[in-house]
Amino acid sequence: MAEALVVRNLSKRFGGLRAVQDLGFSVGEGETLALIGPNGAGKTTSFNLVTGFHRADSGSVVAFGRELVGLPPYEVCALGVARTFQVARPFGTMTVLANVMTGAFLRDKTVSVARTRAQEAIAFVGLSAKEHIPARSLTTIDQRRLEMARALATVPRILLLDEVMAGLNPAEIDQAVALVGKLSARGLTIIIVEHVMRAIMAVARHIVVLDHGQKIAEGSPSEVVANPEVIRAYLGTGYVHAAQPVAAPC
Amino acid sequence: MRRVPRNWLWVGLLAAIVLMLPLVVTSRFAIDIFIRIALFAFIGVAWNLMGGYAKQLSLGHAAYFGLGAYTSTILEIRYGISPWLGMIAGGVVAMLASLPIGALCFRLRGPYFAIATIATAQVLMLLFLKFRDFAWGAEGTTIPNFGDAPLMMQFDEKSSYYFLALGLLALGVAITYRIEHSWMGYYLVAIGEDEDAAQAIGVNAPRVKRDIYMISAFLTALAGTFYVQYIYFIDPATAFSFNISVEAALVSIVGGIGTLWGPVVGTVLLETASALLQSWLGSSAGGVQLTIYSLILIAVILWRPSGLLGLFEDIYRRMVHARPARPKEALLDG
Repeated sequence: MAEALVVRNLSKRFGGLRAVQDLGFSVGEGETLALIGPNGAGKTTSFNLVTGFHRADSGSVVAFGRELVGLPPYEVCALGVARTFQVARPFGTMTVLANVMTGAFLRDKTVSVARTRAQEAIAFVGLSAKEHIPARSLTTIDQRRLEMARALATVPRILLLDEVMAGLNPAEIDQAVALVGKLSARGLTIIIVEHVMRAIMAVARHIVVLDHGQKIAEGSPSEVVANPEVIRAYLGTGYVHAAQPVAAPC
Repeated sequence: MRRVPRNWLWVGLLAAIVLMLPLVVTSRFAIDIFIRIALFAFIGVAWNLMGGYAKQLSLGHAAYFGLGAYTSTILEIRYGISPWLGMIAGGVVAMLASLPIGALCFRLRGPYFAIATIATAQVLMLLFLKFRDFAWGAEGTTIPNFGDAPLMMQFDEKSSYYFLALGLLALGVAITYRIEHSWMGYYLVAIGEDEDAAQAIGVNAPRVKRDIYMISAFLTALAGTFYVQYIYFIDPATAFSFNISVEAALVSIVGGIGTLWGPVVGTVLLETASALLQSWLGSSAGGVQLTIYSLILIAVILWRPSGLLGLFEDIYRRMVHARPARPKEALLDG
């Protein structure tokens, strides 16, 4: 299978802190990869490195054969790599439709075309009924939907989702999982950072585990949860004996 | 937008009233106030493109006002070139000047950006104070009076200046309208709301900010040329006055920042209030008019940070439709 995104030897330091160290992974086209790890493991930093919000100290990120390191965020997005933010960042005073149209303008500057594309993306995430509502008055899950619609409107080939399920209730998590599944079914390559293990198990076939900025494990969900290193990272050394395929490290 | 036709009816009605004003009101004092209103509304509109929509709060637009004023004056006095051409030349000079100024100032965000822009206008003022041979230094110069010479942008009738200022204002509003209803309007508001989030969905924020700064600088320079032609005098303190920068921002903030008509509404209120207060109180109680003027500002910023335009709309809707207003920004809805 063709590789959509290849990350090699990616490193970033903030002063004395090694936020990401020698990170490498790759995602095949159409696959869904989950990036997990305890708080401060470097997941969001990795996203920022891939999408141009931080500049990597060393290493490379190649998307469909194009090097992304050194590009500003808007060029990364233009190359087909879109992201959502951990804390949703809607343009609060704009309506849902205007928010998503802003994303759609990347591919076509005509207002009517952008509006049609935006409405498609909004319908896809199930937000059509709230098209004309200012984004700031949306609920948390609707803001996440909006973030996804806005990213989708830029017609990405790779979508990076940063904790889209954080703060959702169980019913909403099911809706979000279904949505991610729908995106994947559309052929999108997805990289998802998530804490909700139930969701990860449902959407990802491949998991990369980070701790202190380094990759400590990689594999299928059942392999990863049985990995002693992973259990040590999440629960401490005292729990390593508990390693079983069904254990959920969260 | 479904409300366009009715809006245009209002605009037409308003335009008719505004165009007839000089026929009804003939006092030179009143026409002078109308000219100031049109001019400062235009400067506010130019400022609002960048400061209002993209929330890049510049307090240095006097830099472009002054560059426009000096370019046309130097071209007229030194080379005999008509201010009509000088006006365009001034706009181009301002546009070019906005490139390095923007490259420096846009590295900063928020209040730091505002402070840096203040500095640019001050530096330009100091430069022109030193240009004694070329630009008359601190004394400034009067502009030769050719009598009624429309080709040199000089008129006998005060109302001609009024119509010219109105023309500038109409140009500014038309440009704003076009931008507001194109991709650029969406990009500007997105940058103003959250620049990082905008970049994440492909908005080339540095380029959009550079472009809108150029447009804003160009328009502000036109106002500069008009102003010196109107008062027949130029010196660095007038052309690069900090008051111009502040006024440009204030009329927009009071009227409604990031809205098409906000700066116009703001100028009508502030200029009228200031002129009336000055003529009533100026002689008897000096300083009182400034106090009242400041109180108006404080009241607006405290209780109506979205500007008076939003307040009027609320009142209108409550009276006519008895329902709450949709947020003003929701207009940007495609």
